[in-house]
Amino acid sequence: MTRFFLVLATAVLMIPAASLMAGDSPQELRHELMEDVGSGAKTIGGMLKGEKPFDAAAAAAALQVWADAAETFGDLFPEGSESGFGTEAAPAIWSDRAGFDAILAEFAEASKAAVAAAPQDLDALKAAAGPAFDTCKSCHEDYRIED
Amino acid sequence: MEWVKKAFWIILLFVVLPWVLTRPGSFDADRLPNRNPDIANGERLFHAGGCASCHGEDLAGGLELNTEFGTFRVPNITPHPEAGIGSWSDADMANAMLRGVSPEGRHYYPAFPYASYTRMEPGDIVDLRAYLDEFEPRSDRNAEHELAFPFNLRRAVGFWKLLYLKQRPVISAEDLGEHARRGRYLVEAVGHCGECHTPRSLLGGLDQERWLSGAANPDGEGRVPNITPHEDGLADWSVEDIAYYLESGFTPDFDTVGGSMVEVQENFARLPRADLEAVAEYLKAVPAQASDSR
Repeated sequence: MTRFFLVLATAVLMIPAASLMAGDSPQELRHELMEDVGSGAKTIGGMLKGEKPFDAAAAAAALQVWADAAETFGDLFPEGSESGFGTEAAPAIWSDRAGFDAILAEFAEASKAAVAAAPQDLDALKAAAGPAFDTCKSCHEDYRIED
Repeated sequence: MEWVKKAFWIILLFVVLPWVLTRPGSFDADRLPNRNPDIANGERLFHAGGCASCHGEDLAGGLELNTEFGTFRVPNITPHPEAGIGSWSDADMANAMLRGVSPEGRHYYPAFPYASYTRMEPGDIVDLRAYLDEFEPRSDRNAEHELAFPFNLRRAVGFWKLLYLKQRPVISAEDLGEHARRGRYLVEAVGHCGECHTPRSLLGGLDQERWLSGAANPDGEGRVPNITPHEDGLADWSVEDIAYYLESGFTPDFDTVGGSMVEVQENFARLPRADLEAVAEYLKAVPAQASDSR
């Protein structure tokens, strides 16, 4: 009997540990999503700046990452996740949820439109990605902590 | 009459001497150039100085700065003769920006960053004033500051000025090329970057030994970054990277500018490219400093 409860207790105690190891707190998941968005930005930006040759497939993949991230990002800010895990989410996300959702929706729309445009050259990429890039700055201005 | 002698010394040391030390001076109008103002230059200075970021796009003021000293309320600087600065002479304007003294002869609080503007050329003050004169006069009167004791003793700012109001540049010219010297003027004087990016002492003066090495965010959470060439700062950024960031808001990794720096970047983006490169050259030339441990 004792052994049964010991095993049960160990198993129960391992549940939170397991979720830490999997790194699936909202703070960590949303941070990872933003890092993916950042990689996409680096790819696209590098092409726009002339540091990398234009590659339609790579550009399309990066734009798709943006569109996918924008879809799920908003779900990762539940009550109770305002701090911890080194989150850079600003308090304004919760005190001004409507504003945050609005700018996120702009990002989502702009990325989806960019994916649909399927740019085949540098000028098309600039026109497609530009509106999405603008939302980066607007969101970071109000909803990300300094530094 | 021993007590008379004692009283005399007490009054001298504790009343007369502080009164003399904290006396607001006045700007010598002869130092103003005798020429027509260059309004285009005034406009560039307006953007580099970020006047609108505190005084409002319409210059009517009203913004509240919540600091550890209390709440500062930004005044109206439209050309309105009573509510704004319409009745000021150019010497009044220079006295305000270079010495932190009002036309009535009272100290301004250094939340108005005259400790940086003090390094500006009098001619630039005249040009900037001419540009401000083009705005619509507004009659907005904003409330007074709300400051905790002893910071509400305006005269005491005179002591602060003795410690912290210095015209000499932070970084000496021997270390800088000509282009970087223009950058120095834009950063140390007009852009007043040090006011956010440099740590402060207990009395709120800038710690010039740690120039531009980053500081706590004065009005919110987080930190203002280190922008020296240290690895805690811009070691991996080239001059071109910095100029591009000021122009576009994108870091070399295509992260974006955020927080209060967005407004600064958008103001700087309106300056000529050569000015952005000058700023970048200056930043790469300042001493590399590690960030303060928090």
